[in-house]
Amino acid sequence: MTRIRSHARRPRSGPIQRTTFFDILNILFTALFALIILYPFYNCILLSVTPQHIYAREPFMLYPKVLTWESYYVVFENRVLFTGMGVTAMITALGVVYNMILTLLLAYAFNKKFPLRSFFLYMILFTLYFSGGLIPFYLLIKDLGLMDNILSMVLPTGVSITYMTVMRKYFAAIPEELEESARLDGASELVILFRIILPICMPMVVTFCLYYGVERWNEWWYGMLFIKNAFKQPLQLVLRGIIQAAGSTNTSSHLLEAGIIPFNDGIKMASIVITMFPILCVYPFLQKYFVQGLAIGAVKG
Amino acid sequence: MTAHVERRPGAARRKSVFRRAWESRYMYLLILPGILFFLIFRYIPIYGIQLAFKTFRASLGITLSPWCGLENFEYLFLNSDFWVAVRNTLLISLYQVVFCFPFPVVLALFLNEIRLARYKKFVQTVYTFPHFLSWVLISGIVMNLLSSSGAVNSLIAALGGQKHQFLTDKALFRSILVFFLAWKESGWNCILYLASITAIDPSLYEAATIDGANRWHRMRYITWPGISMIVVVTLILRIGSMMDVGFDQVINLYNASVYDVGDIIDTYIYRITFQRAGNFGVSTAVGLFKGVTNCILLLSANGICKLLGEEGIV
Repeated sequence: MTRIRSHARRPRSGPIQRTTFFDILNILFTALFALIILYPFYNCILLSVTPQHIYAREPFMLYPKVLTWESYYVVFENRVLFTGMGVTAMITALGVVYNMILTLLLAYAFNKKFPLRSFFLYMILFTLYFSGGLIPFYLLIKDLGLMDNILSMVLPTGVSITYMTVMRKYFAAIPEELEESARLDGASELVILFRIILPICMPMVVTFCLYYGVERWNEWWYGMLFIKNAFKQPLQLVLRGIIQAAGSTNTSSHLLEAGIIPFNDGIKMASIVITMFPILCVYPFLQKYFVQGLAIGAVKG
Repeated sequence: MTAHVERRPGAARRKSVFRRAWESRYMYLLILPGILFFLIFRYIPIYGIQLAFKTFRASLGITLSPWCGLENFEYLFLNSDFWVAVRNTLLISLYQVVFCFPFPVVLALFLNEIRLARYKKFVQTVYTFPHFLSWVLISGIVMNLLSSSGAVNSLIAALGGQKHQFLTDKALFRSILVFFLAWKESGWNCILYLASITAIDPSLYEAATIDGANRWHRMRYITWPGISMIVVVTLILRIGSMMDVGFDQVINLYNASVYDVGDIIDTYIYRITFQRAGNFGVSTAVGLFKGVTNCILLLSANGICKLLGEEGIV
């Protein structure tokens, strides 16, 4: 039996498989798409370290001929981006804790049986299908007194139903016996959740912390709606201001004389690189958790 | 073991509801914060929908503002900008389904055939990366690439072509939206398909190989049928959510010269409310129109998935 199986498996992974035309085509196709994704980022980083007069002459570059940190100096001196980064760091820290607590508790509890369970579950699922829309939501935040308060970018994004569902499936795959034995030892529900279930779910917890974290880091929309105070605006909103500002490649002299530094392309790209930097740092190392994606529950369940 | 399992429901039935509720009091404690969140931030706005039938007075609030019947809807349905937004939403959605939807499937099928494990991991890391960046940031990169002095135009000029204003060209705007949506999200969307490919029984491939199937045959007759169900379900759900075409992308990329082709319902609501002296009643009416259409489409999509014996939205 074992012999037959090992014989049958050999063609898939053994040395018998030769590199075919298909393989080469496949590598070319996938590499091309990877290049199409990478080039805009490469170009962006390149522009941020290129002097503007050189960029104006030769916008399509493959490698930097002259390096300058000028654009970064301007961004660092201006400081608006860093005020935004502080706000966003705060939103991300508060938001992830808030998101994870709410979502984990719901996901765990909905795997248990208790009266009115399906009522509450359907109450939540209903919001997937129907929502009040922007205006009533806007008025609610106004009535709650959250205008110009950074909590307006934290509290309204509590639970992602998709993430909750994936978590539920993940919890459901944990063997029942584990909880039973803990219960026999006299552990309460909360002890079971925090001391027994969560520790063995760490990969899932890390994954969703990252997802929620990235979402909070990318927050700009509620900031645009609710935050008027420039010092409370999140990073992405500040970045949006810089990007959307009319800029010019050639720094016009009368603006410079007036002390206004126009957001030229170099400054815009430098701001983008700085905004992207934290994700760029974290992503390759935690890639495993990021790329697990929602498949983490899809295959198990 | 079986006897133990079977006895349980009977035992539960003998206890009263209140007794069972009391015994699971911790469960209510656990769901309380989440339920409160949904009540406050999802259900109170639903109460506010009555504004669609009211003339909003800021001093009176939602509840006390006077009713006005269907006036808001009449105004809306006679407004050509509204119909432009509806048309654009449906068209962009259609383009997304036709062009953005199949690409991740193809990508997953190809990625699955790569046997260089490290290379495969590397390209997948690259593909997934843009998903984690905001449209604000991506729009900055896109606007630079496509600007008159950007890389694309200078490449065209270098090749002897005419420079082109891509982002203000009505004929190209939707294509740009669709292209960059595929660019940003394809890698992410193909994860689901890759995961379901790994769930296919390897013995099928072994048997096929013994029968003389080559790589193409195996892809065509084993891998594809193995994931076709999940592809169909994803497609149905995508069509069901056709009213959502990506507000973030559109609002960050569009500009006044392409409103005719790029203004979708969500951006229309934002524009008429916050960029002009908005009439909250009318804006709520647009929201309600979108909400109801969306709800019907989603419920139908979900129903079809259930008929196919699949899970549906969640």
